[in-house]
Amino acid sequence: MQTSEAPPVPQSMDEKKKEVRSPIWVKLRPIYPFIVILAIWQVAAMQAQGNQGRLFPTVDAIVYRAWELVTGPLFRALAENPNLGLFDQIWKLGESPILLHTLNTAWRLPFSFFIAAIVGTVVGILMGRFAFWESFFVPLLSVLLPIPAIAWTPIVVIWSGIGDQTVIVITAFASFLPIAMAVWTGVKTVNPVWIRAAQSMNADKMTIFRTVVLPGSLPMILSGMRIGLARAWRAGVGAEAFAGIRWGLSAGIFDAQEYLDIAFMMVALGILGLFGFVLEKVLFQPIESRTVIRWGMMEAMGAQDKKV
Amino acid sequence: MVTKISIQNLRKIYDTPERRVHALEGVNLNIEDGEFICLVGLSGCGKTTLLNMLAGFVEITAGTITMDGKTLTQDYDKGVVFQEYALFPWRTARQNVEYGLEIRNVPEEERKRISLDFLRLVRLEEFADFFPHNLSGGMRQRVAVARAMAFDPQILLMDEPFGALDAQTREELQALTVDVWQKTKKTILYVTHNLSEAVYLGNRIVVFVPNPGRIREIVKVDLPRPRDDLAPEFIKLQRHVNDLIRDF
Repeated sequence: MQTSEAPPVPQSMDEKKKEVRSPIWVKLRPIYPFIVILAIWQVAAMQAQGNQGRLFPTVDAIVYRAWELVTGPLFRALAENPNLGLFDQIWKLGESPILLHTLNTAWRLPFSFFIAAIVGTVVGILMGRFAFWESFFVPLLSVLLPIPAIAWTPIVVIWSGIGDQTVIVITAFASFLPIAMAVWTGVKTVNPVWIRAAQSMNADKMTIFRTVVLPGSLPMILSGMRIGLARAWRAGVGAEAFAGIRWGLSAGIFDAQEYLDIAFMMVALGILGLFGFVLEKVLFQPIESRTVIRWGMMEAMGAQDKKV
Repeated sequence: MVTKISIQNLRKIYDTPERRVHALEGVNLNIEDGEFICLVGLSGCGKTTLLNMLAGFVEITAGTITMDGKTLTQDYDKGVVFQEYALFPWRTARQNVEYGLEIRNVPEEERKRISLDFLRLVRLEEFADFFPHNLSGGMRQRVAVARAMAFDPQILLMDEPFGALDAQTREELQALTVDVWQKTKKTILYVTHNLSEAVYLGNRIVVFVPNPGRIREIVKVDLPRPRDDLAPEFIKLQRHVNDLIRDF
């Protein structure tokens, strides 16, 4: 009985142990291409003379500028009053422009994405469940999806003025479209044999939806969320610049263009990149590894395991 | 013995825009309580259609099916084991077995106890907390059998449940199925096109032929259990069923 069906336990545990023991230089391998690029940058920047040097700063100048952008207000305040309390010190740190830019982007983007995720999921489910809503939304979404959301900015600015609300509307709208499409597809393409299995056990429609259709379409829903987040990111960053608002990383980048402050732009770009990376790591990977990857549902979708 | 299911003059016609398919015609069959019935026949002979009608997946065109003397309703308790892997990947083996009990609002403690009982019945209690993708194909089908029986259905419907497994695993699961059947005394309808499997498992073998799908003959299998698939009587019976399927 047991011979031809060896329990798969020991193998999988072995694999886990191996993963845990991978040495530090293997884990840090993804960093080395960046070091190479930075080294080339540094060498190239060092060739730049005089004014050119301002337009093409060296890596250490960028790092110094980043430090200055973060700690500038604090050090200036300390120079005036060396006995500044700890609370005031933190307060001064919070006044640094790069931090204000970052914080503004940091709340606006997840907030817009959150709205898009909720509305997109609801619309996607309506489309997947009811033929009426399907025939209502599919033509609309098909026409709207290819339009870069950024192109709506002037209209939204005219309607809702300059401010956070404009950026939020555009970001949420850009993100909503692919999420609704993915949820719709996910709900429609749930493996029919799961539904028949639940039906055979006399589950009613609502129960089947809750216990089979939703978890069964989770891989599609999550990949839709990912695309939605990527689109939110692009649209949000664009809208910040074009909506003429003061605070926000890309608003800051476009400001810095006026002052030829390349180092600021590079720092802000670095933060933008880091942002996407962190969102991926803290938002999607934990959800996925606890759900669809644990359930073995990603293999079916042709996903590679993400170790990087 | 008591008649469990009575099928009378059953007919099924699929109407598609291009053509009309006569899937079943004049099917009469009485199944006794606790019987193990195998349905065999070539593809398109209507054996799966009959099973799907009993499962409530397909509507009856004409004729009647009664269970315990009453016309069959959609929501009677039946356990179905599919050929495809139909376990829910997001539930562990035990949670899968509990599904039918959840639908029937069985309290949690009792659910847990019953599901472990049935996992023990298919000899998988150590794998209760495994997700299906960590189980082999044979193990998955054993969980599927446990899931289909845990809520104490009136009958068990199995549609080529071991067709996708390798020969060795299939033999193990056939023996296990007989064991489960003897312990639970459930009425089982089992669709297969593996004739050796049918002779090994069934009390009776219902032989279907196509165009239109109908019953050719019902073969009684009187061999003692456990059955030896190399015994002369076994092979003779298998040959007889084979002849019935092909020459008509």
